[in-house]
Amino acid sequence: MNKLLLTLMALLLLVLISALAGLNFGPADLSYSQVFQCLTGNCADQISQMVVWQVRIPRVLVALVAGMGLAIAGAILQNTTRNPLADPYLFGIVSGAGLGATIANLSLESIGLGDQLNIALPLAAFLGALFAITIVIFIAKVLQQMEQLLLAGVAVSFMLGSVTQFILYFGDPFATNRVIFWLMGSLSRVEMNNFYVIASVLMVTIVAIIALHRQIDALLLGDESAASLGVNVDQLRLLMLGLCAALSATIVAYCGGIGFVGLMIPHIIRQVIGVTTLKLVMGSALIGGSFLIWVDIIARSALADAEIPIGIITSALGSIFFLFIMIRTRNTH
Amino acid sequence: MSLQLQVNQLSWQINDKIILNNITFNVSKGEVIGIIGPNGAGKTSLLHCITNQQQKIKSTQLTGNIHLNNKIITQYSAKALALHFAHVAQKSAAIFSLSVIDIVKMGLLPHKSLFAVENDHDRQQIKLALTKVGLAHAEKMDYNQLSGGEQQRVLIARALVQQAQILILDEPTNHLDVYYQHQILNLISQLNITVIMTVHDLNLASQYCQRLLLLDHGQLIADGSPEEVLTEALLCQIFRLPCAVTKDVLNQKPRVFFSLPAQQTSNLNGAN
Repeated sequence: MNKLLLTLMALLLLVLISALAGLNFGPADLSYSQVFQCLTGNCADQISQMVVWQVRIPRVLVALVAGMGLAIAGAILQNTTRNPLADPYLFGIVSGAGLGATIANLSLESIGLGDQLNIALPLAAFLGALFAITIVIFIAKVLQQMEQLLLAGVAVSFMLGSVTQFILYFGDPFATNRVIFWLMGSLSRVEMNNFYVIASVLMVTIVAIIALHRQIDALLLGDESAASLGVNVDQLRLLMLGLCAALSATIVAYCGGIGFVGLMIPHIIRQVIGVTTLKLVMGSALIGGSFLIWVDIIARSALADAEIPIGIITSALGSIFFLFIMIRTRNTH
Repeated sequence: MSLQLQVNQLSWQINDKIILNNITFNVSKGEVIGIIGPNGAGKTSLLHCITNQQQKIKSTQLTGNIHLNNKIITQYSAKALALHFAHVAQKSAAIFSLSVIDIVKMGLLPHKSLFAVENDHDRQQIKLALTKVGLAHAEKMDYNQLSGGEQQRVLIARALVQQAQILILDEPTNHLDVYYQHQILNLISQLNITVIMTVHDLNLASQYCQRLLLLDHGQLIADGSPEEVLTEALLCQIFRLPCAVTKDVLNQKPRVFFSLPAQQTSNLNGAN
């Protein structure tokens, strides 16, 4: 227990250090002391005040909660479906969001409401993601095979992806560009409001997980075993899937597509901290949050005069990570 | 002994297939009951009905009733049933590297409200259960790395933490070697709670169960002590093999021998 507490404290410290590092990176040339002064309310000038409070703090906070949320959603989906490869993205959430964003982009543009896109795009993406997950659950329900959720998710993902590509192919090139860039994921346009929304959904999810962690753990030994302990297996799985879908849909709506976080982070935590739900979720939240802050730092500072979309970096790191895991597993056998 | 479970004219049908046919028996507190019979006789199905786990199956038709402590079983919530029955399945594989203690802890689930945390009493219960099954040293070990016998003991420890009144086991000695078969059954028979289990090995059933229920084609053929149920005539008829029943020299319980019909002429002819 003490070892666990120590590890969590160390991870908390990592989050803090990552956040401070995140605040110090950016195009505006601010020293550590200037940033610190602004944080304590003694800003030297208005510009640095604006940079710190309106650009960097929202960005770091959104990176933190988005990383936490994606990692938690991955951890919970993996434990509830007993599938180590489950990830919010495999349930059609991103392709649904992509379709929503595409429709919003093209239709608002054509009726002359293009300036409303700031609000409409996240909303449409969120609705698209929920639409996708509803179809996935519906298919699994009709087939009466809740354990086939993941396969249904992959099928829906491809289906919606092809609809999106069809629309984009015949659509306006500018709108197409916008959707494609949005799908690559970025934190460059986030605001403080986005943080509040994501953090609220995250809080609800965490409270539900704390309440139901024993039930989720019971699933790890099979549905029948969980049912014999009094767990309503289908109901629990549906509730958790719904919460994870809402959480990832909210994140995708504001930040675009950020892959691999939900797949990679819980995998690391299982090796380091443990496999039971509470340990896994706490560890995943802290590592996931720090991870995305650092990825965003790389996204902002790797190129001299441009940002790299954050989803490109997470996907690149994720694929390297998986090759590394494969090689390590082969060597240990 | 007070009556704990009453099964009354229980029949179960899935589509047109009869799974269980008009089964009636009672269980008193503290009895160790073995359900025996050939493959497909309905042994595991009977366990599913007793624990009310059969409703998930489609096109199912159940008649008759089961009373648990004088109340119909379908009136219990899933959580309340988990306080009465602890179920040890034939084989439970863990996904991810669950430790022994992670699994034993699951037994706390029916006793805990949503936000309740683990207390000293719970930890004591877990320790006690692990000591009882002889795994106190192994609490941090990876469940999937344990032998079949040790895994069964972990699941029994979980059932002990669950503190249910009736322990339900489906083939607890499957895949176990002779040593573990006896170790597990000996452990189970000394727990001092009601036990209902399916057993394939008739001699193990004879040795460790106070009472046997013999099933065939969904029907309850015999119900009684091992001496009453394990008779040559009955076993030959049900298992369709020549058989002889003697007394075990070590424990004086009935001991059953089967042989293939081709060998019938040699020494088991008299059994028919």
